[in-house]
Amino acid sequence: MRRDPLAALSSPRRREIIRLVWTNERSAGEIARAFDVSWPAISQNLRVLKESGLVHERRQGTSRLYRADRRALRPLEAYLRGMWERDIDRLRLLAEAEEGNRSKR
Amino acid sequence: MIEGGLNVEVVQRIAASPATVFSYLVEPAKFSAWMGVGAELDPRPGGRVRIDVDGEHFALGEFREVDPPHRVVMSWGWEKNDAVPPGSTIVEITLTPDGAGTILRLRHLGLPGEEEKRSHEGGWRQYIGKLAAVLNSH
Repeated sequence: MRRDPLAALSSPRRREIIRLVWTNERSAGEIARAFDVSWPAISQNLRVLKESGLVHERRQGTSRLYRADRRALRPLEAYLRGMWERDIDRLRLLAEAEEGNRSKR
Repeated sequence: MIEGGLNVEVVQRIAASPATVFSYLVEPAKFSAWMGVGAELDPRPGGRVRIDVDGEHFALGEFREVDPPHRVVMSWGWEKNDAVPPGSTIVEITLTPDGAGTILRLRHLGLPGEEEKRSHEGGWRQYIGKLAAVLNSH
């Protein structure tokens, strides 16, 4: 099952977890200790992050290690790139029209 | 460049001077002609940016750098959007003269690499607090 990474990002707790594992790989225990909630609550959030592709899980012996996978942000990047390309092109037309009008005067 | 996190870059040549292009980045009436339907802009470091995207959605942030006619940096996010909340990302626009025209380079970065770079959670919280204070003072 593949979840929508943007929907997964909509939870403040899940964003906190992602921040925690953004640059460093951390064990499930380390992640749980950073929060003042029960392990099942953290485990549930880790599962959603894993299913959305935002977090990668690796087993080492008996522990599970997590780190962020930024490739899951690609749909957001594509959306923003499309938005800016469209808007910047509009800016281009306006700025060019303004100088075109000025030079005709 | 920020390691990890969001990384969007758009480069566009515009057949107009940097000064003309720059005016579209900092003057509210000109800004809303190319993005959204309305804009409140206070183009100085710490000054507020609020863009009415479609009458329902608002982009919110603050100017970080304003260097006419070369460069504008602002924080960026959407009101009531948990995935990209206000101030969670950075938009950097650089203008470089190119003959009689301008090369516009826009980079949209952050989320959550940008926060990480601001040295940990405390820094991030502080930043959000500062942003809230700036917004409330207007």
